[in-house]
Formats: sequence, C-alpha cells, structure tokens
Amino acid sequence: MQPLIEARGLCKRFGGILAVDHLALSVQQGELVGLIGPNGSGKTTTINMLTGHLSPSAGEILLRGERSEGAAPSSFAARRVGRTFQITQLFSRMTVLENMLVPGLARPHSHRAEATRQARAHLEFLGLAKLEGLQAKNLSGGQQKLLELGRALMLDPEILFLDEPFAGVNPFLRDEIIGLIQKLHAEGRTFVIVDHDIEAIQRLVKRLVVMARGAKIADGAVEDVSHDPEVLRAYAGV
Amino acid sequence: MLDYLLSQLLNGLVIGVIYAVIAAGLTIIFSILKIVNFAHGEVFMAGGYFSYFAIALLGLPALMGIPAAMLLCFLMSLLIERTLLTPLYSPKTERKGDYGVLATFGVSILLRNLALLVFGSYPLRPPSFWSGSLIVGAIYLTWDRVFAAGFGVLLLALLVWFMYRTPWGEALNAVGQSRESASIVGIDSTRFYRLAFGLGGALAGAAGALVGPIYSLSPSMGLAPDTQAFAIVILGGMGSVPGAIIAGLLIGLCENMFVAFFPDPSRALTYAQAFSLVVLMIVLLVRPTGFFGRRHMAME
Repeated sequence: MQPLIEARGLCKRFGGILAVDHLALSVQQGELVGLIGPNGSGKTTTINMLTGHLSPSAGEILLRGERSEGAAPSSFAARRVGRTFQITQLFSRMTVLENMLVPGLARPHSHRAEATRQARAHLEFLGLAKLEGLQAKNLSGGQQKLLELGRALMLDPEILFLDEPFAGVNPFLRDEIIGLIQKLHAEGRTFVIVDHDIEAIQRLVKRLVVMARGAKIADGAVEDVSHDPEVLRAYAGV
Repeated sequence: MLDYLLSQLLNGLVIGVIYAVIAAGLTIIFSILKIVNFAHGEVFMAGGYFSYFAIALLGLPALMGIPAAMLLCFLMSLLIERTLLTPLYSPKTERKGDYGVLATFGVSILLRNLALLVFGSYPLRPPSFWSGSLIVGAIYLTWDRVFAAGFGVLLLALLVWFMYRTPWGEALNAVGQSRESASIVGIDSTRFYRLAFGLGGALAGAAGALVGPIYSLSPSMGLAPDTQAFAIVILGGMGSVPGAIIAGLLIGLCENMFVAFFPDPSRALTYAQAFSLVVLMIVLLVRPTGFFGRRHMAME
C-alpha cells in the first residue's frame, strides 16, 4: 500500500551541522505515529521539511507518491497537510472565529457561510465556541493550542503534524487534547505527533519513531520501542 | 469670513482625500511587506504622467486616464517588486527593513531622474475631468477638485470593502499579521506581497492622475506628498488603513487651515508641511503609536 507521506534519505544540513541524517520514514493513511527523541535530535527539523517549512539538503519527500521536497508550505496545506507549532502561530489580532475563517476562505471556491458553519462546528468540537469573539492573543496557552488545531482542521487535513501539543498545557487540558486527537483519529485522520511527554505519547500512539543526533534509531510498536536498549541509552541516558 | 472658512475647509478636505489615497497605498505596502516604500511619491508622479499620455497619445477621454494610470502603476510596481524586492522574502536576507529602504530609495532617485529625462522639466497639465467651477454664494471650488475628492472617496470606500469584506483582503491581513501562519493555512504569501505592492502603487497612481488637472505635473511632484504621506502613516498608526484615511483627512484640513489663517500669507505655503509635522508631534506625545497603531512591526 502506498504511504500517505514518505521520506527517503532525508538530510538537512545547517552549516557544518547535520541536523537530519539520511532519515527514512513512511506514514500510512490512518496511522497515529509518535516522533520522540532528546532535544536537538532533529524532530522539529524533520516535520519542518515534511510540511514545506524547510527545504531538505538531500533526499526525497513523497506525498501520496508525488515528489514534494522543497514545495512551499502553502502547497502542502493545499494538499491537505495540516500542522501546528511548538510555539503557537496564530493571527493574534484576529478573533477566534476569524482565525478559523482564514484557511476556510483561502480554499478555492469557498463560501463565507459554509466556512463559518464549518468553523463553528470545529469550535464546538474543541470547546472554544463561547470564545469565538475573543481576540486570539487573549486566549490562554492551552486554548491557543486548541485554536491552532482547529485552524488546521479547517483545511480538512488527511494528515496532521502536531509539534509539542502538550507543552505548557495543564494535565486537565492535556487529557482533553488527547481525547480530541483520539476522536479525530477515529474519524480516519492521520497524525504524526512530536512531544517530550512520553506518558501522553504512549497513551495515544501505537507506533513510535525515535530520533537521536538526526538519525532514526528505532521505529515500531510502543511496547517494543520503549524497551529498546539503544532508545533507553539515547533518550533516557540509561 | 464664514464663506472663507467654508471654502478653506472644503479645499482642505479635497487635499485630505488625496493625501488619504496616497497614504493608504503606502500603509498597505508597509503593513504587508513591512518596508517603508521611498519610491511611493515617484509612483504617484508616474501616475500623473501615465494619465496625461494615455489621454494625449491614445486619445482616451480624460476620465479614462485614471484607470489607465492605475493599471500602469500597478504593473510598474509589480516590476519593481519582482526585480528588487524578492530578497525580502528570503530567510538569508538580514536587516530586511534596511534593505527595503535602500532599494526603494534608489528606485525613487532613478524614477525621478528618468522622468526628468523623458518628460522634461516643464510642467504639463492634463485636460480637466470636469471643467468649470462650483459656486455657492461666496464659496468657490473647481469641479476638478470636487471630482478628485469624490473619486478619492470612492476609491477609499472600495479599498476598505476590499480589505475587510473580501477573502483576498482577509488573506492580505493574515499575511500582514504572520507570514508563517498564513503559509500553513494554504496562503501563498509571495503572491500577496506582490498584490499589496501593486495595489499600493495603483492607489498612488490614481492620486497622481487625480491631482494632474489641479496642480499640473512635474518630475519632482511626488516629493512633498510623499513626505506628507509618511507623516500621515505614522499619525494614523503604522499599518492601519482606516488610520491612514482619517489622518490624511486631518492633515489635509489642518494644512489648509494653517495656510489660510497664518498671519503672513507670503510665508504660509512654505511652512505648511512643517505645520503638519507639528500636528504629528502633538499627537505622538499623547498617543505614541498614532491613532490605530501597534507597537511592533517588522518583516519575519
């Protein structure tokens, strides 16, 4: 079966530093993958390349079998690839609803009424409906994470890359976000989640990919990877 | 006295509308591309000449000079943006604001001298849009001024509708707020940078075409309105289109009132621009960000 997205021999060099070193990764439709690794292991650089925010120094990215390395982020978004950031990137001076409408209206042949209906449905799902008139900059950190997820949903993404969705979020909201991701996954959406919260990741995903020093050191079922000696050495220092 | 005051108020409004059109273009470029376009006054000047030659050489009716000027200024701005401003979008370019200032400053010198070479230093006067004058009692206003103000208001209304009521305007606003965020929701930022620069140029071109029959055309005609437009953009709040419109009207009115009532009429015109800057200084003392300004704006 053709992977939804695939990286082959992906490299990213920043000056003399090889941030991502010949990475091979494939994600099938409907998977929920956790991408973990110590700080500086190349996780965010990898998803930046897989969503068009960075051009790889070498290697290939295939989105539904189509070569896509170096394409603009807007081109990935147009092909139903959504993402969120470690530090939320919202339109801070727009209201919650306006933030949701920008991707809705950016799509070809979109209609304001239909986009507004969809935006309100997503806000309801995320528990942000009552805040639709509030400026994004006035939301709490956790609410901003939810809004960024909602805004990505407006692209009707087949695959969502979430960069540290649990960072700086209180445990109650973290559980809520886990529940929302599980529901969206049950609807058939594919996820790649980068986070340091191993406990949350283990609760959420079935497959774990572990990176260290820019290279993939493990890829498999959560139970297998969590006991992998190389992972324990690289990630936990055991 | 009342008639004189009313006449001056109306004249001030006409100038204010023209200033607002120029400043709205400048502020769109600033708010989206985050650069100060020093060539904006020269695009305004080019708009006047484009209108003149569209009428004189192509035999178009005087009114058609305005859309012709807007179209040609839009295309000229696209050419400037494509050839000189693309380094602004590269992560490799450091000090983007400085780069924008130097590049557009160079373009302004080039365009002004090119105009001198091609059109000569003698002033040219395009035909009237609407000849004659409006006379109500002792109030006297040429129809060209009335037309320029009316058309300017129409342009500003269309601009506000475009910016706040259309998906394109919302996308421009999104790119202006965060290029990164806009790109992840499917907006091609580069396309909207191009649109913003072209739109700003088209507005400057329209203003140039509108003032042609009132003040006549010369290669240096863009210098004074450009300086005023900078003051207006700061006064309105950097990056705010409604702010630029309100500040443009205010500066136009204040400047005209100052000229009309300054005790020494022989010096009044010389001091007019300085008076606008006094207004700007007073407002900034009370509101350092202008009417609708924000604290930080820089290219990502």
